Amino acid sequence: MKTDNYTDLYKLNKAHVVRVFDLTDKEKLFVFRFDDKDLASTWTYKPGQFVQIAVPGVGESTISITSSATRKGFFELCIRKVGRVTSVIHKLRPGDVVGIRGPYGNGFPMEAMEGKDLLLIASGLGMAPLRGVFLYALDNRWLYGRIALINTARYSSELLFREELDAMLDMTTAENLLIMQTVTREPEYPGLKGRATEYIDQTGVDPKNCAVIVCGPPRMYMDVFRKVLQLGFSPDHLYMTLERRMKCGVGKCGHCVAGTATNMVYMCKDGPVFTYYDIMSTPGLI
Amino acid sequence: MRYTKLRKENFHEFLRVLERYGKVYAPHRISEKFYDFREMRDPNDVVTEYPRTVMPPKKFFFEPLSELFKVGLRDFSYSTPEEDIQPFVIFGVHAYDIKGLMILDSVYMEPGLEEKQYAVRRQKALIVGISDMPDQYNFSNVRNADWVDEGFDLFLHPIEEGWLIRVGSPTGHKIIDDNSQLFHGTTLKDIDDFKEHEKRRQLSFPMCMSLSDVRYVLEVNWNNPIWEEEAKRCLGCGNCTMTCPTCRCYEVWDEPDVELSSASRFRRWDSCQFHDHGLVAGGENFREHKVDRFRHRYNCKNSYVKALHCDFCVGCGRCTAFCPAGISYMGIITHLMEAKVHED
Repeated sequence: MKTDNYTDLYKLNKAHVVRVFDLTDKEKLFVFRFDDKDLASTWTYKPGQFVQIAVPGVGESTISITSSATRKGFFELCIRKVGRVTSVIHKLRPGDVVGIRGPYGNGFPMEAMEGKDLLLIASGLGMAPLRGVFLYALDNRWLYGRIALINTARYSSELLFREELDAMLDMTTAENLLIMQTVTREPEYPGLKGRATEYIDQTGVDPKNCAVIVCGPPRMYMDVFRKVLQLGFSPDHLYMTLERRMKCGVGKCGHCVAGTATNMVYMCKDGPVFTYYDIMSTPGLI
Repeated sequence: MRYTKLRKENFHEFLRVLERYGKVYAPHRISEKFYDFREMRDPNDVVTEYPRTVMPPKKFFFEPLSELFKVGLRDFSYSTPEEDIQPFVIFGVHAYDIKGLMILDSVYMEPGLEEKQYAVRRQKALIVGISDMPDQYNFSNVRNADWVDEGFDLFLHPIEEGWLIRVGSPTGHKIIDDNSQLFHGTTLKDIDDFKEHEKRRQLSFPMCMSLSDVRYVLEVNWNNPIWEEEAKRCLGCGNCTMTCPTCRCYEVWDEPDVELSSASRFRRWDSCQFHDHGLVAGGENFREHKVDRFRHRYNCKNSYVKALHCDFCVGCGRCTAFCPAGISYMGIITHLMEAKVHED
């Protein structure tokens, strides 16, 4: 039997930093491009998928893709400085090189949401994967109904992509969009205050025909789901994305395994996107 | 299936013949109580009756420590270690360990996601199974792993005159055909011996129960106090997972060389019983307490291998036999099966 046919699962593809933007004190947005021209122009991914980004000699991190594959030639990662690898990544400047594997994960079923309104609810770093969904939906604007985005954080200084979203406010009426940015712990903030759940009924989406995508700390998921179900949204189209420790991204290393005996899942392969029904049938998932 | 006979007097010659197909690893007695697969130097040292080896055969395919790749730090050149894996033979593998390898195959050779390092070794290996006589820890019968119809090249069953051999692969057929002087046709007496032995073997398994509903038993007993009680006794050493034929978690890390000209990525076996198994940057730990990790192993081992419609646990009994705290895996499962969820 020939064994040369197997591709190397762990092969790193060389990519370089094109630009770096400071988003908050802790998060930066990195624009990358693969050095291989063919790969750079053909590499594609779904909203909600992630990559493994490696700084050789330091290590590898699991980061969700925050751009949309509808825009070719580059991809963007929003990276929080939180550990050993991400601290080194934060020091990278344009031209510096990293290794990329992926894309991995199931991603959001954007096709299944076609024809529906979209309600996107992001909290904190959850805005990173949801920005990919938002940009994808804008680039395929005719496929979706009204698109509402609620971006929330504890403090306004932690609102990810706040300026970018503010800059889009001009086009919301023409494009049938709604963008809300709310903070929970800053009483002097001049904009919206409070949790995302308090604003769902003001988004103007049609509960009977709307997909809901939530991304944030796991403890917020059930609150949001309870609220939308109470408002009459269908449980058939509730999605969220989860995180775990991941080392391989291809369902081998076992670190992201979660669930119970009847339903043991690899977050990297079976997720990171799960539905309302997944959560209800898999204790321990959130 | 093809059956043939190897007479006692030809057994050592048979082991020598296997050497022609590659380096032979076989069960050896390594201490007063323990057995393990070791390279065969003298056929006299090979053990044919043993309860279980310390390490399952997974170590030959998924090595405890290995280098995955190397990256040049100046030119970013990517290379994998040059490996020249020669054919090798693992002699004397029990049925539950063969099943264990098939389960590992379903993960490491999942279609489209084959891991090259594992697949290459798997294809170079010749597996010769041997029938085992269960001891008090072996419950492979209730796991449907006490018997295999595939996953081996040859499988030996003891009979009065020596061994009855089942042939399980084209390579197995070749070994028989190319060395026909060693083998004889089976007689009706041999078949009766074989059946008699299997009957005796089946009666020797300490457990006879159905584990069909074990997944549900584990779920509905999620909050059973036994988890806390037993987790308190657990030392968190990871012996149960290291010796498990189907545990396959690994950890990776990068290591630059002293001249900072290149960096290698290494991997070693990891264990879900270790505190940092679910620990992510920023301090969040998805299985923070020992009881979370303890209970997780029982759930993971009893979850479905979707490709094979079986459980990950093959019932070899290693996790119990080698637990320094004396925790009994099946003891906990049987306790849960009988436990009442609601105390009156």
